[in-house]
Amino acid sequence: MEQRSVSKKEYRMSNFAFRAILGLLIVAVPASILLAVTFGTTKLPIGDVYTAIRYEVMHRITGQPIPAEWANGAPLHDVVWLIRLPRLILAAAVGACLSLCGVVMQAVVKNPLADPYILGVSSGAGLGVTVAVILGIGSAWGGNYVGMVAFLGALAVSFAVIGCANIGGRATSIKLLLSGAALSAVCGAFSNFLIYINNADHAATEIMRWTMGSLAAANWPNNGIMVLVAVVCSVFFLTQCRTLNLMLLGDSTAITLGTDLHVYRIIYLIISSLMIGFAVYSAGMIGFVGLVVPHVVRLVFGTEHRKLIPVSVLLGALFLIWADVLCRIVLPGNEIPIGILTSMVGAPIFIYLITRKRYGFGGGREG
Amino acid sequence: MKISLEQLGVTLGGQTILNGIELELPANKTVGIIGPNGSGKSTLLQCIYRVLRPTTGAVFIDGVKLERYSMRQSAQKMAVVAQHNYYNFDFTVQDVVLMGRSPHKRALERDNAEDYKIVEKSLAVVDMGGFEHRIFSTLSGGEQQRVILARALAQQTSCLILDEPTNHLDIKYQLQLMDIVCGLGCTVVTAVHDLNIAALYCDQLVAMQDGSIVGMGTPKELLTPEFIRNIYGVQASVMTDESGIVRIFYHPKNQSI
Repeated sequence: MEQRSVSKKEYRMSNFAFRAILGLLIVAVPASILLAVTFGTTKLPIGDVYTAIRYEVMHRITGQPIPAEWANGAPLHDVVWLIRLPRLILAAAVGACLSLCGVVMQAVVKNPLADPYILGVSSGAGLGVTVAVILGIGSAWGGNYVGMVAFLGALAVSFAVIGCANIGGRATSIKLLLSGAALSAVCGAFSNFLIYINNADHAATEIMRWTMGSLAAANWPNNGIMVLVAVVCSVFFLTQCRTLNLMLLGDSTAITLGTDLHVYRIIYLIISSLMIGFAVYSAGMIGFVGLVVPHVVRLVFGTEHRKLIPVSVLLGALFLIWADVLCRIVLPGNEIPIGILTSMVGAPIFIYLITRKRYGFGGGREG
Repeated sequence: MKISLEQLGVTLGGQTILNGIELELPANKTVGIIGPNGSGKSTLLQCIYRVLRPTTGAVFIDGVKLERYSMRQSAQKMAVVAQHNYYNFDFTVQDVVLMGRSPHKRALERDNAEDYKIVEKSLAVVDMGGFEHRIFSTLSGGEQQRVILARALAQQTSCLILDEPTNHLDIKYQLQLMDIVCGLGCTVVTAVHDLNIAALYCDQLVAMQDGSIVGMGTPKELLTPEFIRNIYGVQASVMTDESGIVRIFYHPKNQSI
């Protein structure tokens, strides 16, 4: 009896903690954007930054005209409204997508080491982007064709990795990681080759932009699509928690519990490829977010996807917002590519995870 | 619930695992499937619980072909406790048992108070009340198997399939698990290795050898020394104790008793 009452209390605590942290994150993401918008290579008076945003927002909501010194073309307006703010919103959307993709891929392959970057899915999307931009393939599909081709690249690699890892028996961590590394190398080599033959002068800069990630190209029209993808996919996967949980139990158990996972696995891979395609198209390859964020969330809340997904999405957004701020302020007058920063944080965690004998999907136990 | 198998055959990689099985399983009885390793017990059960698709023939549930049911519908009819239930994840016991409610849930339906009540009751039946918030993978083998049984109970089915669930358990838990299962009064189909346990708990036995059924009957009818020698190739003597339960005593090969 003693034990039961204690555990009931713990349960309420953890549920309370979940709601509290979720609420905190929901507030923290927009608050961070508003705070982060004041940081940058050029020092701007904080009051002026908010005045510029206020005028723009008011103008968009009520149609109230903007005074000329705050309007389009004024340097302060342009820095805040056309450079900093879209970039932070892109960071949030890309962070949410990468983190959510990590959660979904980890469930699909039943392996906590899965991450779109590690499995080469990002490289597939990167190859898609280069093919679309340089060779113009897919341009018939309209304005977002680059994102669509990136999605197809990500999709092809997703299925190829799982296919390769399953050759000759069940996929193990090692086969999965090796397949990911190999496919990532293939895609990387081909896209770098395309960049070189097309534009040898700027090739180095271009390759760096794609392979190390950058949020600098953010703009409002593309942000609209990216935010839409992030929100729609997050909502979709929030409805899939039950199936995602079952995925961790394996196919046979899922069948005895009334779900044939085969179709779901394909749908989930398609949707996560869509997210990666658009994320890579907007921001290049940013690694390890999908590995680190879900891992941290599992340590606190466990494997249950009903908690894991919303917290991971918001924490991923928050993580990339502040990572981007750090990139902009760490070198005075210059910025480092965001992928470098996320890899600096993520790769050691990745090494730590593979050196552990077994990994119980979080829970803070040593294997 | 009535399960019948018609001309059920399974061929895997050119090898015949099951060969034209014809079987009718009575409702609300405990039926044990016995036979040596590799005789096809597990394959037979896997065809019933849909993890394996039979090469020929079909499984019928209440007269309807199994494929006609959706996965959800068949999971509402039968629950499974399988031999390998080692999971390396940190779901809580409550999370695991709640998953037993999934066949009763629509896509967006949330778990409600009733589901939690069912979970609590199921855990109480297997004597695991108070373990709700423990991490599943930190439990002992016997406790894990009882939680999996609770998950099967939470499915609220009229049929329970046990695919050698007591394999890795020590005798205390083997008996405990069988006690719980046979006290439920629903249809139970179980693969059993231990003939004494089969004799203790099963109403009917089905004996398999090389993918075919080689005998059917009550433990008393089926478990004779000759039969055990033919099927398993071991010497045994059989006696019936005062309560009418068949007991089997095995003899070592290099010693004549």
